[in-house]
Formats: sequence, structure tokens, C-alpha cells
Amino acid sequence: MKKDMICKLLIIGTGPGGYIAAIRAGQLGIDTVIVEAKKAGGTCLNVGCIPSKALIHAAEEYEKVLHYAEGKSPLGIGLAAPTLDLGRTIAWKDDIVRRLNNGVAGLLKKAKVPVVHGWARFKDGKTVEVETETGPQIVRAETVIIATGSAPIELPFLPFGGNVISSTEALALKTLPATMAVVGGGYIGLELGIAFAKLGTKVTVVEAESRVLPLYDAELTRPVMKRLADLGVAVLTGAKAKGVSAKGDALLISTADGADEKIAAEKILVTVGRKPVTEGWGLEEIDLDMAGRFIKIDDQCRTSMRGIYAIGDVTGEPMLAHRAMAQGEMVAEIVAGHKRSWDKRCIPAICFTDPEIVSAGLSPDEARKVSPEIKIGQFPFSANGRAMTKLAEDGWVRVVARADNHLVLGIQAVGVGVSELSTSFGLAIEMGARLEDIAGTIHAHPTQGEGFQEAALKALGHALHI
Amino acid sequence: MPGPYDVVVIGGGPGGYNAAIRAAQLGLKTACIEKRAVKDAVAFGGTCLNVGCIPSKALLFASERFEDASKHFASIGIKVTPEIDLPGMMGHKERTVDQLVKGVSFLFKKNKVDPYFGTGRIVSATQVELTGPDGTKETLETKNIIIATGSEVMPLPGVTVDEKVIVSSTGILSLSEVPKRLTVIGAGIIGLELGSVWRRLGAEVTVIEYLDRIVPGVDGDVAKEFQKILTRQGIKFKLATKVTKAEPGASGVTVTMEPAAGGAAETLETDILLVCIGRRPFIEGLGAKEAGVAIDKRGRVETDGHGRTNVPGIWVVGDVTTGPMLAHKAEDEAMAVAELIAGKAGHVNYDVIPSVVYTHPEVASVGKTEDELKAAGVAYKTGKFPFTANARAKTVAEKDGFVKIIADAKTDRVLGCHIIGPEAGNLIMEVAVAMEFGASSEDIARTCHPHPTLTEGVRQAALGVDNRIMQM
Repeated sequence: MKKDMICKLLIIGTGPGGYIAAIRAGQLGIDTVIVEAKKAGGTCLNVGCIPSKALIHAAEEYEKVLHYAEGKSPLGIGLAAPTLDLGRTIAWKDDIVRRLNNGVAGLLKKAKVPVVHGWARFKDGKTVEVETETGPQIVRAETVIIATGSAPIELPFLPFGGNVISSTEALALKTLPATMAVVGGGYIGLELGIAFAKLGTKVTVVEAESRVLPLYDAELTRPVMKRLADLGVAVLTGAKAKGVSAKGDALLISTADGADEKIAAEKILVTVGRKPVTEGWGLEEIDLDMAGRFIKIDDQCRTSMRGIYAIGDVTGEPMLAHRAMAQGEMVAEIVAGHKRSWDKRCIPAICFTDPEIVSAGLSPDEARKVSPEIKIGQFPFSANGRAMTKLAEDGWVRVVARADNHLVLGIQAVGVGVSELSTSFGLAIEMGARLEDIAGTIHAHPTQGEGFQEAALKALGHALHI
Repeated sequence: MPGPYDVVVIGGGPGGYNAAIRAAQLGLKTACIEKRAVKDAVAFGGTCLNVGCIPSKALLFASERFEDASKHFASIGIKVTPEIDLPGMMGHKERTVDQLVKGVSFLFKKNKVDPYFGTGRIVSATQVELTGPDGTKETLETKNIIIATGSEVMPLPGVTVDEKVIVSSTGILSLSEVPKRLTVIGAGIIGLELGSVWRRLGAEVTVIEYLDRIVPGVDGDVAKEFQKILTRQGIKFKLATKVTKAEPGASGVTVTMEPAAGGAAETLETDILLVCIGRRPFIEGLGAKEAGVAIDKRGRVETDGHGRTNVPGIWVVGDVTTGPMLAHKAEDEAMAVAELIAGKAGHVNYDVIPSVVYTHPEVASVGKTEDELKAAGVAYKTGKFPFTANARAKTVAEKDGFVKIIADAKTDRVLGCHIIGPEAGNLIMEVAVAMEFGASSEDIARTCHPHPTLTEGVRQAALGVDNRIMQM
């Protein structure tokens, strides 16, 4: 039996929430231990945000040159059809993940936080047993942070295995499937579906709701719908997946009008959402209050048991790495005795589709619920000089504000490269900006950010460039 | 006779056309005069749209795509051999410019601004004489005049621009073939952007600079990193060097230069010589001096800091007056002046004017540099974060550059931000908005930055001010 480890703070899970909490705790001089069953960095770094963005980037570049090769480039770049070496792309992606894994491990080392490798299980509220390769390890802690994250939801009639894959396997395919059915038209399904379509796969998206990306307002998703059509992605809305064909080479669905259909698919990618990881680590031993599927937390990420905090995907929506990181940082500071509570006005969300979608704060419909009258200013990139020079004229920026005092409630954008505008939006909301504040800030010319200023001007009734 | 007008704007560049649109929106009867002709028709948009920001960015974008495809795609699994179709690339540039120039005319129509084709001359504070392209003259009566005549290329003694082999920033945008050797005089923003375009397309580029550093005015750390990266990309630099003569010959241009501090002269042969040592205010034939408008020693129209000249009723915006020669500075002045004329409270915050260099990587900054703060005796702290430690940068195959945030040592108020790296021009806006709000570095650090984006680098730099970077 190994000697018990005793620490002030124990963190379970090294995803973005967990590792950030550990680094911040280390900076604050808290004696901290972190447990990880797999590789450092969690879903985000190993099988989520990072590898998907690498694949999306490669696919985007490939599709662009393919387009140029077909003689459709307005840029004056001539070329023969490009060839794709998917093995090389995947190796490049794996190398990024490897370097970031090592990076997180290095950061934890620098923060003097030891990592215990293995599966953790609560014995009681202050004691965790970790099954390490070399036997069980007991860790005793004054305070514990649960950061166990989330996992892809499996459909009972489409269990993962064989040709039915989750986003994890989709990011590690060795060869390009000729056909792919994507079950679930949320952001993960569309991000990956678009990437594979660009690489040359014939993609069909099956979505049970009446439209894809149902969490974003319809207007925001329209440019993405247009691009899906251009890329030859078939989108079947109101359609339900039923199972796999007997041969395993097709997805069985019932269409919006109730007809049964077969969709040929070498791979069936199921992306119907993610669920919190609340099993296998002894939740039953400590009996925490739940909020639906998630662990219930207060505005300081405290659970119902004293000394136990929970952060990240296991605590609810939005399941975003940057939410988890902000929570992790906050909890470490609370444990160190700082006065902190969750006071974020805005957690921007980004969809890395083509074009990209950003939403910060409230949509027009949401805003109408908190303010009787609102003002909306929308500015299209087709009237933005920088977008024109970059062949990025699809899409727009929209600012939503209260009509009475012009307080900005929400900012949305859809367009090429808008992901990097997201923080300008978030910061404006966080600072309590009025429309005049955005309109009165000089935005550099020529940048896509000018669209933000113009949208504010438009809401004020005097846009200059449209 | 047309008029009388409330406002006559002389010059239809970003300062002039925005002033005209905003004035008209505020119910003022407005005219805008522009003398630039393209194919015998008036071309609004000024230097920026016609021969500046926009055409250069179109070429920068296209040439960057070409370089990506030729050099960087193999490492991410895409095999391709691209070729340059220069007329095609120029076509992209011309289409972009054409659409935007037409767009300004459309905006004038929509906002009811009267456009005039010709040259404007101030006769008095209430009269502008217009000389049309055919020489006919008419006089516009007006209550206010806004001078928005912009700037022109600064000439270099001993070097005569012919726009064939010795070109300015205008001629370099329309070369008919890729030169084997391109020499650039002036390591400022324009020289480095246009030098980058032709280097990517295959030219051997040498940049000659009088000072011992590139991009004067830009933060010293950034400039050093920038020079290192550009050198690695293949641009050669000759710093602290003065060009004394340039002579076109049978096989290109012979450039004679000597060390800035004095010393032996040497010569260099080049196919194309680009002269871009800066721009100077343009007031030739404007009649401003004659109307009593004060002009400073550097030829700039003087103002009270709010767009008023010393002559009541005559206003000024943009490159022709003091301040950085940037389109967005001119636009902001334009809005403010139009609002002041209409009796509203227009204002320009000269402390928060971002600037962007569209090379690859981009360079962007806002606020004060360390050198400026040192000179002013302000105690400050800095936070710096490299893009090598940013996940989004890795996924888009970028690794160069960093973000530096400078904050007041006592109050933590953000005083400046300097970025070299991918999308720096988009990243800087967050800090500009923050500075408009008088934000502290802690405010930036406490704002949720989405993952994975390059903007996380800005947050980490803000954390760095308090010595608590988390991702490095």
C-alpha cells in the first residue's frame, strides 16, 4: 500500500478547468495535487477544440486551393489540382496535441503541482482513492475540485463502435471516408461535417429539429446554410436517425414526412451532444445535489457539500473551455481566501463553421425578454473594405441594445475570421458599453472590426458606410 | 448657382467623404469636391481607396495566399504547386477598388450629398471656387468649409519618381511583371507591406532605411522581432544608410548610398526602386494660406485640437492636419467635425488611435510605447505573451510574435498594447475598446476570452502585468 498523500487542494481532471485551477492554485502557494486518468489537457486539448481546429484549418486551406485549381480563383493564383496527404495532416495535428500535452504537463510542474495518473474515486468528501498503474493511492485533501468534464452522448440505437463514431474517432481517421452521415446538426457536427466535406467526403447531416444549429438564431445560421449547400453537404432537417443498415454501410432514417430512407455512409458520426461525466468516480459516496444531469453549484462553484467545488462541463451549460477556465481560476482564488464570485456578464460562444459564428450576450429575441424595446444595428461585410480584400464578404455584425439607454445587450457576427472579433464583443458587454461607446471608439482601417463600429452606428440611426 | 451650402468639403478621401455623409445625415446641406479622375470619371475614396490601404491590402491578401500555398501547405498535408497569374491578381485588386469607389458615390446619393468633380479652391470662409475637368469655373457659397485634401508622397532629393522603374507607393501597386530585384527606400509601414507583396511573388527585396531601426514610432521590442521575422522571410535590410542618388539606366536603376553617419559611398543595382520615405500634407492650390488659414512649419493646417482652423467657418480633418496619417483617424475627425458644425458634441480621443501593419505576421498597436512612457517619466509595468504558447496559433500553423500590454505601475490602467502576430489588427480592437473605458489590465484579465482563439494571448499578456501568466 502506498503512503497516503495529504494536500490542501485536490483537483480531479486536467482539462481546461482543472489544469487552470491547478496553475492558479500553484501561483497562490496552495499545496495542490491533480489527478488525471488519461492525458493532460482533457477533451479540449486531446479530442476536442484543438485537434478539430487543426483539421478545420487544413480542410479550409485544401478546399481553397482546390477551388483555385478549378479556375475559380479571383486572386490570380493558378495551380494544378492539389493532392491531400491525410496522414500528414493527421500527423501535424497529433504533433500539435502532443506539444500542448507536454505544455500542460510542464506548466503543472512549474506550478509545483504533482500529477497522480489514474482513475479517481471518492471514498468520502475529503478522501479520494486513485487507481494508479502501480496500485491504489489514497489522497486526502481539505478541499476538492471536481473537474471531470463531459463525454459524447451515445444513442442506444447507434452505439459507438465499428463505423459508428464519435468526434474523437472522427479526428483520428487514417483514410478519408467517401461518404459520411452526421447525426446531429449542432456545432460539433457541422464543424466536422464541413471539414470532411472540404476534404472530399460526401457528407449528409441529419438533424431532428427543424433547422441546424438550433441554439443560434436563424438569421445567424443562414450564411452557414448557404455555404453547406455550396459545399454539396446534404442537410436533412426534421429527420430522425433510426439505426445502422444490416451491412453496416448506411444510416437508416425516417425523413420529415415520415418516409424511411437509407443514407449510404462509410462512417456515421454521432454528434448529438455531450453529457457530464458523473459516473464512475463515486458521486454516490458523497451524494451531491444535482441540477438535472449536472452537479449543482452556486455562484462560487460550491457544491452542496462543504469543501467540494465543481467546475466546467460537469456543472452545466454552456460547455465551453473558457467558461471552465474562468471557473477554475476563480475557485483557486476562493480557496486562497480571495473574495470572488461568478459575475461574468458574458461568455462568448464561437462556432468554427464556414463562415464562423460568434455570439456574445443576448440575441434579439432574448433581449426583448429583458428590455421592452430594443435597437438592432446590423452591418454586412459586403460593405467592409477589409472583407472585400479578403474575399470574405458573406456575413455581418449585429449589435443589440436597449432602446431607452442604449446599453449593449448582445453582439453577434457571422463571417470569415469573426472568431477573433469575439473578445472585442465580450469586453464591450463586460464593461457595460453603450452604443455610443462603440461608435466613439476608433476602429482601425481597414479591418473587419470596423463592421462592429458601423453596426453600433446603424443602431444609432447613422451608419456611414451603408 | 448651386448652394448656398451649410458645408462644402474639399477632398473625397476617408476624412472628406465621411464628413460629408455625417453632415448630410445631420440635416446640413452638403457638397463634396474631388479632383481625382479614373477613366475620365470622378473617383471618390482618396488615397486610401484608390492607391493606398485598399489596393495594397488586396495584393497583400492575394500574395499571402500564394505564399501559403507554395511554402506552408506541405507541412499540413496539402501538396500543390501554385503559379502566379499577375494580371489575375491585379484584377482582384482593381475589382475591389472599383466596388468601393462606386460605393462612395452610392452613399453620397443615399445621404443626399452633392458630389462635385473638379478642384476646389478657398476664396473666402464662405466661398469655394470649383474648377471642373474641362476648366469651367463656378463658385459654391457655403457657411462652412472642411479641408480634407489629404497628403501626397514625400519626394526624396536626388531621386526622381518616373512611376516606371523609380516608383512611388502608387506605381508599385501596378507593376506589369514581378521584378527580379526590388529596392525599397524607407523601412516604414508602406515600404514593408509593399516589399512583402513583391518578395512573396518572387522579387529579391532590399530595404534601405536612414535610421538604425525599422518602423520608427513602433514599440522597440516589436520592431526588433519584426525585423528578425522579415529577414528570415528573405528581405535584406540596409539600416542607417542614406540614399543620395538614383539613376535609371539600361539595366534598371543604380542607387547610390552612404552610411547615414557619413562614410564611403556604395552603389546597388536594382530593377525597380520604390521610394516611400513618408507622406506630406497636400495644400497646393487650395488657397488656404491666402484665406488666412494658419499653416505650421511642416505644411500642416493648424487646428485647435477639435478640427477648427484659426478662420471661423473653416475646418480641417485627416492627413492635411496634425496627428497620425491614418484613414480611421481622419474618419473619426470627420464625424466629430460634422457633429460640431451641427452643434453637437463631437470629440476625438487622440490617445486611442490603433494602427496596423498588414504584413505577415501583422503588427498592431494602440496607446503609448515603452519609449514614450520612459521619456515622459511615467512608471509602468508590462506583460508579454508569445504566440508559441497559444493553442489557436498552433492550429492555424502560426508561431511568430507576441502581445505586450503596458499598464500604469500604480493604477494598473492600460496605457498601451503592442502586438506582432497573426490577426494582430483584429486583436488590437479589444484593447482599444478597453482603453476607451479606462480599463485596468485586471479588467482585461477578468474578461472571459473564448477558447481557442488568438485573443487568449491578449488576456495572458494582461495577466503578465501582474506576474501571473497561466499558459507559459
